[in-house]
Amino acid sequence: MESWGHAVDLDDVRGEVAIVGIGETEYTKASGRTATEIGAEAAERAIADAGLTPSDIDGLMFSGAFAGFGVDDFHRYFDTTHSMWSSPWGGGMAWAATAPHLAASAIARGDARYVLNVFPVAWATERAEMTGGPGEVHAQQSLKQNLEVPFGWFPQPVYFATIMRRHMIDFGTTREQFGAVAVTLRAHANQTPGAVFHHRALTLDEYLAAPMLAEPLCLFDSCPISDGGAAYVVTDAARARDLAQPPAWVLGVGEGYSATGTHWSQQRAFTSTPQVFSAPGAWAMAGITPDDVDVLNCYDPFTVVSLMQIEDMGFCAKGEAGAFAASGALRYDSGQLPYNTHGGLISHAYVLGIAHVIECVRQLRGTAGAQVPDCEIAVYGGYTGHMASTLVLGIDR
Amino acid sequence: MAIQRADFPLPDVADPIVAPFFAAAADHELRVTRCAGCARFDWYPHDACPVCGHALEWALVSGRASLFSWAVVQRPFLPAFAAMVPFVTALVALEEDPAVRLCTLVVDDESRPLVADQPMEVAFRPLSFATVPGREVIVPMFRPIGTGRGPQ
Repeated sequence: MESWGHAVDLDDVRGEVAIVGIGETEYTKASGRTATEIGAEAAERAIADAGLTPSDIDGLMFSGAFAGFGVDDFHRYFDTTHSMWSSPWGGGMAWAATAPHLAASAIARGDARYVLNVFPVAWATERAEMTGGPGEVHAQQSLKQNLEVPFGWFPQPVYFATIMRRHMIDFGTTREQFGAVAVTLRAHANQTPGAVFHHRALTLDEYLAAPMLAEPLCLFDSCPISDGGAAYVVTDAARARDLAQPPAWVLGVGEGYSATGTHWSQQRAFTSTPQVFSAPGAWAMAGITPDDVDVLNCYDPFTVVSLMQIEDMGFCAKGEAGAFAASGALRYDSGQLPYNTHGGLISHAYVLGIAHVIECVRQLRGTAGAQVPDCEIAVYGGYTGHMASTLVLGIDR
Repeated sequence: MAIQRADFPLPDVADPIVAPFFAAAADHELRVTRCAGCARFDWYPHDACPVCGHALEWALVSGRASLFSWAVVQRPFLPAFAAMVPFVTALVALEEDPAVRLCTLVVDDESRPLVADQPMEVAFRPLSFATVPGREVIVPMFRPIGTGRGPQ
């Protein structure tokens, strides 16, 4: 039987570049702001955090799939005119992990010195115009539009309800175990200023009593829709050491794909993610094993996506992440696998992974809300359905 | 950005990629794509077999399947679903090749709870939405075996 996916063979960039500046906007429900306005604010704050000025930024990465903050927007906002290297293969989701690798290539070629990766989201504001909310992009695909949507297998909460069900069937995962993920991440959001759910607690009893969206997936298995954005600056090792902040070194990057693309219904390994293919390359590049990871932040639109990635990256055996989560292992103070320490997509904000990378950097700097003591290795697990990615960041101690 | 097609979310039976699927359903036949060269099922429909390069054909299958997974949709994510909730959407794995999964609606399941991997059979039923008045499309839905008298 052919494999259900593959890894991308990435050049080794260990220690060649670092994240040297981070910036975030407020994370809110519908703000009335445009993605471009949000992106500009995140960019301005990231540049300032690095101790740079806008004219220093000569590389810009963004998401080609979403309207946001491109080169023209950059120049208009900052009143600059200099030439910039740019790439649409940045932004959030899985690309929030691979952008530093592409930036390293651009920097090594001499195309840029300081690369800014920006990802704004205004989906809470835009939601009324979107078919099925974030399902819009899926509803536009003709195969999904004709073979999935008419049968009610749409949008994402329904896909992942069926994935969750199969995880329960195959591995005996329980609602209480999914609930442990939701409750743990909410507790992390409660310690993280700026989280959308910073002031709202969640108990397991509340989780179990919550309304179903698509049974077995309930309200608290799912992320909210948010406005907000973040950005980070990448530069080479020599420049990184001269800047205002301690560098968050890029130690390893991985990238993997599912052979069935975004057609989850047909993915052979239905309860797995392409982290199976992505994570090993990142561990190898960084020269670490999962045991070395101090903080793990994974793209988590639904609780089952957390459990699958924790398994697929090798933090426990396949099918055991439910029990692992219920044991308390994911809590920031567990001493085991502090996970989504800002609250993740489901309790911090649905800004599609960019804030997960920012949280990794905060943990390494020692400035997180739910701070893990002596965090030396922080990992972002990116997931975009057909694609997974892994970013290993470390700090000098 | 919103979908412009007036009969959405009914399937677009004029779409050349999927038209044979819905034409077969109108004749109460279940057909899925299979390579004409190596006879390997290859679902969803696309241009050519990735293994041998031959074109795909629409192969008649039995309509028997197993219940791979399902969700009881409570929240209407589209206005069209508002009058339907709660409903059961499912993935069924075809008897001929369980790697082929169809997205479908489960019907005639009122008598007992659904069980993982239970046998299912196709039931060709009209799909319609209150938001698309006057239109219906015959589609393959599935029901637990034992709740009817074989495929209709």
